[in-house]
Amino acid sequence: MPAAWWTRNRHYFLYVVREFTALPIALWMLWFLVEIKRAGDGPASYRPHGSTGFVIFSVVCLFFALYHSVTFLSLAGVIIHLKVLDRPVPSRLIVLTMFGLWALASVVIAAVLIGFAR
Amino acid sequence: MSAEHRRRVAIPHLFWWFMFAQGGGIAALFIPVHILVQGILGPLGIVPVVDRHYDTWISILGNPIVKLYLLVIIAVPFFHFAHRLRYLLVDFGVKAAKSLPAQVIFYGGAVVVTGVTIWVLLTTAPISLG
Repeated sequence: MPAAWWTRNRHYFLYVVREFTALPIALWMLWFLVEIKRAGDGPASYRPHGSTGFVIFSVVCLFFALYHSVTFLSLAGVIIHLKVLDRPVPSRLIVLTMFGLWALASVVIAAVLIGFAR
Repeated sequence: MSAEHRRRVAIPHLFWWFMFAQGGGIAALFIPVHILVQGILGPLGIVPVVDRHYDTWISILGNPIVKLYLLVIIAVPFFHFAHRLRYLLVDFGVKAAKSLPAQVIFYGGAVVVTGVTIWVLLTTAPISLG
């Protein structure tokens, strides 16, 4: 297969972007783990990241994280097969439910992260 | 191939696919809001965020439910990432990515991240229900 196969077709390109989302999200999560570890060093040396570079890095990672969420949750309708009262649940309803859960989880987590701050 | 042998092969396969699917779902549902709030809104000062001050951050990190939650959202997605990145290399023609050493490196990496996450969460803040 030619090396640039993924640039010859829009679907191939978007597939590669979808698979690649794992790398920036993984990098951000490793930073997050470091941020947790740094809290263990004590209050004197604790400085949360706040540089412009870090914010730009987070914006880039957020783009990929959102792309992962949209593509992964959209697949739920294909992967998950449910029956209620012996009738199959429409795939569209399953996808809508997943997006609803995503919105609910985001609101709850944001409320905790902001609500427990001072 | 005997039925017993097929069962032995299928169980690890089932485990890795389960971790891949759960990791993808957890990453999709929970990670974007952390990046938005803790990576962008907090550092820019748009909203107060729990990790911007040592006392609030260390306090919430001591909660056992928070520790369990952080373990799940940090460790499990790495099994998904490992699978996706290994197959991305396969798609780009890196034949070695199919090999057993590559599998050990990628999925072993996810196991290492899990171990490190457990260690960090257990050693960073004492468990406290207060």
